[in-house]
Amino acid sequence: MNTAAHPVAPEEIMALFDGEVAPAEAQAVSAHLDHCAECAGLADKLRATSESLAQWAVPPVPSSVEETVMKQAAHVAAGRSPAKQRSYFSPSLWGWKQWALGGGGVMAAAVVLLVVSSAILSRPVRQAARSVEPAEEARREAYYQPQPTDSAAPMPTQSAGLAQMGALKSPALAQAAKPSDEPWGGGGGAPLPTHPAAAAPMIARTVSLAIVVKDFAAARASLDSILLRHRGYAAQLTAATQENAPRSLQASLRIPAPELAAALAELKTLGRVQNESQSGEEVTQQHADLAARLQNSRETEERLRAILEQRTGKIEDVLQVEEEIARVRGEIEQMEAEQQALEHRVDFASVDLQLTEEYKAELNSPSGSVWNRVRNAFVAGLSSAAETILGIVLFLEEDGPVLLIWLAILGLPVFLLVRRYRRVRAKL
Amino acid sequence: MSDAPRDSDASSSQTTDRVPSDRFSPMWRGETGEFQQSDEQLMTAFSRGQADAFSALFLRYKQPLFGFFHRRVADPAQAEELTQETFLAVLRAAARYQQSALFRTYLYAVGFKILRAYRRKAAFRATFLGEQPPGREPAIDNAIETQALMREAVGKLEGLDREVLLLREFEQLSYAEIAGLLGLPLNTVRSRLFRARLALHDLLAAPASHSSTHEFAQSKERL
Repeated sequence: MNTAAHPVAPEEIMALFDGEVAPAEAQAVSAHLDHCAECAGLADKLRATSESLAQWAVPPVPSSVEETVMKQAAHVAAGRSPAKQRSYFSPSLWGWKQWALGGGGVMAAAVVLLVVSSAILSRPVRQAARSVEPAEEARREAYYQPQPTDSAAPMPTQSAGLAQMGALKSPALAQAAKPSDEPWGGGGGAPLPTHPAAAAPMIARTVSLAIVVKDFAAARASLDSILLRHRGYAAQLTAATQENAPRSLQASLRIPAPELAAALAELKTLGRVQNESQSGEEVTQQHADLAARLQNSRETEERLRAILEQRTGKIEDVLQVEEEIARVRGEIEQMEAEQQALEHRVDFASVDLQLTEEYKAELNSPSGSVWNRVRNAFVAGLSSAAETILGIVLFLEEDGPVLLIWLAILGLPVFLLVRRYRRVRAKL
Repeated sequence: MSDAPRDSDASSSQTTDRVPSDRFSPMWRGETGEFQQSDEQLMTAFSRGQADAFSALFLRYKQPLFGFFHRRVADPAQAEELTQETFLAVLRAAARYQQSALFRTYLYAVGFKILRAYRRKAAFRATFLGEQPPGREPAIDNAIETQALMREAVGKLEGLDREVLLLREFEQLSYAEIAGLLGLPLNTVRSRLFRARLALHDLLAAPASHSSTHEFAQSKERL
């Protein structure tokens, strides 16, 4: 019906018959019906439909219903609860939502179970594949190793530490440690390096000491003064100050052997000794062997030089003698270095010192400002969210195809059943 | 009609299951002329312990409610059972009854819940347990044939259109009540009702396409 030609909508004509139009509007619709044949035809059509439906009679309700209901009504009126009847609200019958949820839950559980089991079953293969890359694993572990914080004196290498500890080195020992510039045997008949303790047993002393101190800064200062007083030095020193942890110091000290007892006694006064161990390695024999071999080599060198000076011969022979002299010279220098290191070990006892501060927990630990903590938490949250999203994407990439297959296998029968259920229900 | 009437109301006219609209005023005049209490007053009285109040309510609504189910459920025995179940559900909830809406709206709302539960159950059994949904008895007289014809024509309507039409034509609910019961906007109720009426008119006017020639002739006579 063209609404432009008719001032009333067709639904309004229907509403007029149903008594659902306001009186003023009803008057307008009635007036229109009086002189519009098309709308009058529509009205007749609607009226005829209602009259047709009115013929759809229903048989009378059986009396058994009345008997049952009125009996129960009497129960209720008397204050008693009605007798139990079979109810269509029975909880044993789930609604479609419950079925959908239950079925979906079972399916999801089945899919998760399958994915997990497949992941578990495929794990040994992955482990085997991973085991062929031990270097990669080692690198990863090394990457995650906690890096020590060294706020006082970062010493990545021992040589750097030694350089930094140069200030602690006593002048006398610096002189002793300095390699001699004197050319051994340069002028011929060079004096043998006779060690003063060669006759007495030579013992390399090693001491390990762990001390807990109350005042860390004072202990540190005392340590420096002890080293200076006893002409010792620190071969390595590492001080660490970590957050919410006691300050600590690790040092490898070198103390002249005669001063060791006195130095140890003073070190022990720094605080409470937690652990102490001493050991001594006798190197007398080792030193004697080295001295004998060194002497032999020097004599050989002397003889070779004498040959070179006294005899004349072919150039070839001369060159051969010079080569031999260079070889012996190399051996001599190597043995001299060994001897020097051995003597140094005897001259200077090694003291591994660990100083730890008595820890007092601080209520207001300097863990950063509130703003920084909020910011850090926010950044961590964002990072975590990104990781989660990435994890989901990776999971879908890795297991998505398998999930799709299972969804198709399980979902198709469910879909068909639901479709059938809906069709049957629509017919009821 | 093969089923003999078993009570006095049953022998009344074909539209006995239609509720007269003036019954919903607070006090209405009965057939004998005396003033009677409204549905809501009766239900309130029953919830306070007056057993007779529910008898009056039952007499008013037993046939309309049975008609409600009878036109929507294929099996008459099921319609009877659902009618009984609805009244029992109202009885069980009588203590909690509050006069916030018309009693008939409340009654049909309960009826709809029970009808939906029944349909769910029957559809479930038919789908998953292989039980056949109950069918209607074969037509043996004109009245039942008319029912079958109507049922077939109405059954061809779209589900929601059908409910709107039945609620308006037989339960005599207002547009607003239908909208509240089915959870639809008022305009949707109006447009669906209009559509359903026109569609039904066409279906009843041309039954040859979906029914036998004999049924068509009979229906033309009746209509």
